[in-house]
Order: sequence, then structure tokens, then C-alpha cells
Amino acid sequence: MRLSPRTSDRITRIAGFVTVTLAAAFLLAPVLLTAVLSFSNDPYFGVPPDTWGFRQYETLFTDQIWRDALMLSLKIALPVGLLSAVIAVPAVFAIHRSRLPGRNVLHVGGLAGIIIPISAFAVAMYGVLADFGLLGTYAGLVLANTVLALPLMLVVTSAALSRIPVELELAAMVTGASRARAWFGITLRLLAPAMIGGFVLAVVTSFDEAVFINFIGGPGLTTLPKAILDSARLGVDPVIMAVATLLMVATSILMILALKFARSTDE
Amino acid sequence: MTVSDEQIPAASVPTGEGRAGTNGRGAALELRGVSKHFGSTVALAEANLSVRPGEFLTLLGPSGSGKTTMLRLIVGFEAPTSGQILLRGSDISHMSPAERDIGMVFQQYALFPHMTVADNIAYGLKIRRWPAAERKHKVEEMLELIRLPGFGDRYPRQLSGGQQQRVALGRALAYDPALILMDEPLGALDRTLRLQMEEEIRRLHRKLNATVIYVTHDQQEALALSDRIAIMRDGRIVALGTPEELYYRPGNSFVASFFANANLLPVDGHERRSADTAWVHCAGQELEVPAVGGGGEPAVLSVRRRSLRLGPADGLRLDGTVEETLLFGDEREVAMSVDGIGRVVAVLDARDSGEVRVGEPITLYAPAADTLLVPEI
Repeated sequence: MRLSPRTSDRITRIAGFVTVTLAAAFLLAPVLLTAVLSFSNDPYFGVPPDTWGFRQYETLFTDQIWRDALMLSLKIALPVGLLSAVIAVPAVFAIHRSRLPGRNVLHVGGLAGIIIPISAFAVAMYGVLADFGLLGTYAGLVLANTVLALPLMLVVTSAALSRIPVELELAAMVTGASRARAWFGITLRLLAPAMIGGFVLAVVTSFDEAVFINFIGGPGLTTLPKAILDSARLGVDPVIMAVATLLMVATSILMILALKFARSTDE
Repeated sequence: MTVSDEQIPAASVPTGEGRAGTNGRGAALELRGVSKHFGSTVALAEANLSVRPGEFLTLLGPSGSGKTTMLRLIVGFEAPTSGQILLRGSDISHMSPAERDIGMVFQQYALFPHMTVADNIAYGLKIRRWPAAERKHKVEEMLELIRLPGFGDRYPRQLSGGQQQRVALGRALAYDPALILMDEPLGALDRTLRLQMEEEIRRLHRKLNATVIYVTHDQQEALALSDRIAIMRDGRIVALGTPEELYYRPGNSFVASFFANANLLPVDGHERRSADTAWVHCAGQELEVPAVGGGGEPAVLSVRRRSLRLGPADGLRLDGTVEETLLFGDEREVAMSVDGIGRVVAVLDARDSGEVRVGEPITLYAPAADTLLVPEI
């Protein structure tokens, strides 16, 4: 049987639509299920729940373990965001605006955190932190997460800086601006949206980190992802549905914001 | 090397007024033996140049000729390896760009994308701490001047290329700098817009009487805009003069071919008759032609494309075969090959040359007075 080009065109289009819909459903169904189950009022796990309500969320915000875990995750993620900005911004200037020898090595080296497989990286990190006596410490966790978050900051700010012409800074200087004024008022100002975007990405990365913590965490250092993991291991506590839902909502909002900021540099 | 009278023969030797600049008084900008080396590469070799107040001077040359280096030295993006740059008599060679009181227009506009048109124009005024009311007034005045009244609240991205370049002009002119530099400002615009902007720049220059140094590689642009043109090659100024001088009496073979698009015909011998005439032996003929240069050096005969014509005339006669014809409306470009000389290009009246056919023989004449013996460089 021969199909007219028009018919075969339509068939391909429908096939494409079905595939994409199935893929999206496959990816999103667990997410939706988790969100729905988080509103179970049962003290135990069951599908479908017998009663509905906000019991899990109440437990989450009143239980000391969960609150501590949330606070620790935040206490790690925010410094990680700041640290990656402090490291990445001067680095991208060195990469794009200087004649520093080996600046490409610097660029690739900075991206190592997302190139090297994370479990291998965690083993290496374990060794390094052990050498410096930072294993199972707060500082060690911040440093390790920074290595992981830095590449995102680098990618976002580097792309943005490469789109800011050097001439803008020169134009400001001829027009009478001091080097500092041209730099802060023009170049850094134009880089700011990307820096905010990169910061959010770095914070989210650190906040979500669930692999490193098992290698280099320690007693008293339970982050939110670790608490979820622990809870799931001990038996299914329905509270983790609420935790997971909150995490997903918060991360989605932050990611959308980050992309929005990163993109606004283009305009 | 110094750009001495020897290298800038006849036409390009600055006249009295130009020389007045060399003592620092009377010149808006002066370069004294300025050179710039990058490692072992000489980007600019001992340039001497004096720009008069209110003058429109163009640096013209192919890429890599040193014109951009000269501009970057004047504005302060680079420091000279040796020599002095004087602006209104004071040495600015090692000042930061901000201290020099210069305005600059870039090829890619370089407007600040996060600022409105008004804020872009007011940028220099703000740095100079003008009071807000005066700033606002000046911005309005500049918007009128660049013919964009009412555009103050727009952002650069909302403007066309030509409009953006006008805003860039406004930003550079607003604080009334001692010198305006333009680095190929029309390079990013299309042809029609380029012609409009040329007119705009000419009008602004006439109106404000600003001193302008303009960099371009486009010979037409230089012809249309400049009071004087400095032609550059390999890091040196090889000629300096008015467009007319350089076009009709180029000082050397490079200027003749690069600036006037002239044919350079080899000569079999030449001998000086007087300070500005010579006997030449060219294409099997002997004739007396105007000459520039010292007379001792190797020379070629420069024949502009429009000097050649079909009708019999006294002077140089060239017999050849037509290789190619191209119609440009009123004119026809004819390329022919001449034995012992090579390719010669002529621009003829289109209607007179209707019979010219590719592959057929052709004879063209150039009046001796329209040719010029130039030193070969």
C-alpha cells in the first residue's frame, strides 16, 4: 500500500504526539502521585489513603528532625551559592577578558564537577576531605557542594559574559568613567541577572544533593535529602511525600526564576 | 622610519597650515614620532601627524595597516612604545581614556543596553556631574540634533542600526569633547543607510565644527567625508593630503591604485624634464607626462580608469583585447589585456562604448596630461 505524502505526514505527526505524551506521562505520573499522596491523613502508608488532610505537613513542620534537616540544608545551600559566585565571576573574567595562559584549562577544570561521574567524584572527595580533617564537618559539606554547584554558575555567567561586548566598557571609559565605574556600572551590571540565575541554580543543586552526603556527612549532619533517604530506609513514613512535594514545588519555582534571570541578560 | 618629505612626495607634503601644528600650537591633536610594537611586530612606526581644530581627518588603509592601532593609542586603550600624543597642546600619551576628553563612536554602536536612549546620551554628563536640569536640557538638544526627538525613553534594542549609531554619535558629542574618534562607524550598516549616515555625519561636523578622526577602509567614504586623508600601509602613513590631491596627484603607486583605483603601467625608462614633468617610455611610445617624486627611484605610470577613452587623442595609446565588460548605467567598465603591460581597466561612457565586444581588439587613448609618473612602493 502506498501512502500519499499528506497521509504519511499526518501519521508521523500523530505518532510523535503520542510518544511525547507517553514520555511526559511516564515522567510526571510519579510526581503527581507523590503530590496527591502527601495529602493523606493516615499515620501509615497506603494507596489509596483512607483519610485526607494536612497531617503530613503538620508533622513535617513540628517534628524536630525534619526541621533540623531543612535548616541544615539551607545553611549549606546559601553559602554554596555565594561561594560559587565569588569563585566563578572572577574566573569567567579571567577566561574571557584576559590573556592568562592556560585559561581554557581553567574553564574545563571548573566544569569537572558535572563531567566526572558523581559517585567516583564522591570517593575522591572522601579521600581529600579525610586528609584535611574535614570529613563529617559542616565546612567539608559546604566545600564539597561548592565543587558540585560551581560548574552551573560558570556555565551561566560565562555564556552571559561572552555576549557582553568589551566595547561597552571601553565606551564607558572614553566617555569619562573610571575603570571601576565602567566595570561595576556597565559590565557587572549587565552580568547581574546571570549571576542571580547562577546563584539560584547553585543553591538548588546543593539543596538537592543526596550522594555526597552519604560519603562525607556524619552524625549530626543530616540534610533534607539524607533525612528522606533515612526515613525511606527505616520504613515508609508518609511524611516524606509532603517533603518531596514541597521540594519539587520550591525547586520548580526557583528553576523557572533562574532561567528567567539568565535569559534576561540577552535583552 | 620617519615619514619625511621623501616618503610623502609632492601632493602629500602638508601645506603651510598643516605645518603650523608641529610646534604644538594651533593643532587640536598632534602625534610626534608615535610607535607601537607588539613583541617584535611593529603595528605603528614613528607616526607624525597634526590635526587642525575643526578638521575632519580620515585614517584610510587596508586591515592591518595600523589605522586601528593609531586610534587605540589616541583614545588610550593602548600606550605608545615611544613618542608623544598631544591634545590641545598637552601630553596625553599616558593618561587613562577617561582623562583625555575624547568622544568615540564604535563600529558596533556600543550603546549601553540597560539604559534608555536619554541615559546613554547623558552618561558623559552624569560623570561630569552636570545638574539634572541641565542634563535633561542637553539631552533634548542632542536628540534634536541627531533627529531622534521623542526617542529618549526607548531602549537601544528598540532602535534600528542607523538610529542606534545616531544615538552613539549623540553620546559622544554631548559633553563637547576636544576630539571625536569614529572607528568604522558605518561598517555595520547596509549600503543605503551608509549613504544617509555619511550625510548625517557631514551635517553634524559642519554644524558643530568638531575635530574628527575617522577610521575606515572604504575609499568612497573617505572621499565623501574628509578634509584630509592619511593613507596607511604596514604601520606607516604613506600619504597625507586632501581628497583631491590624493586622487588626482597621488604621491606614489600605492596611493594611486588603492585610493584612485588607477592602472599602474610599467615603464621601460623615464627621465626627469623638470621638477614636475618627465619623459617616459611606455607601451612602445615616448611621451612627456606630469611626474611626482624625486626622479631617481623606480616609477610606474598611473592612469586613472576614467582617463582612458575610445576616440583618437594625443597622448598614450593602448592596443589590446577586451576581456570583460560591465554596465553600470551611464558608464561601462571595460577590462582589456595589453601585450607587455597586462590588464588595464577603463571606465567609458556607456553609449559611446556600445560596440565594445569581449574577445575583440580595442584601442584606448589617455591624454598625457591625465597620466602621472609615480614612484613605485
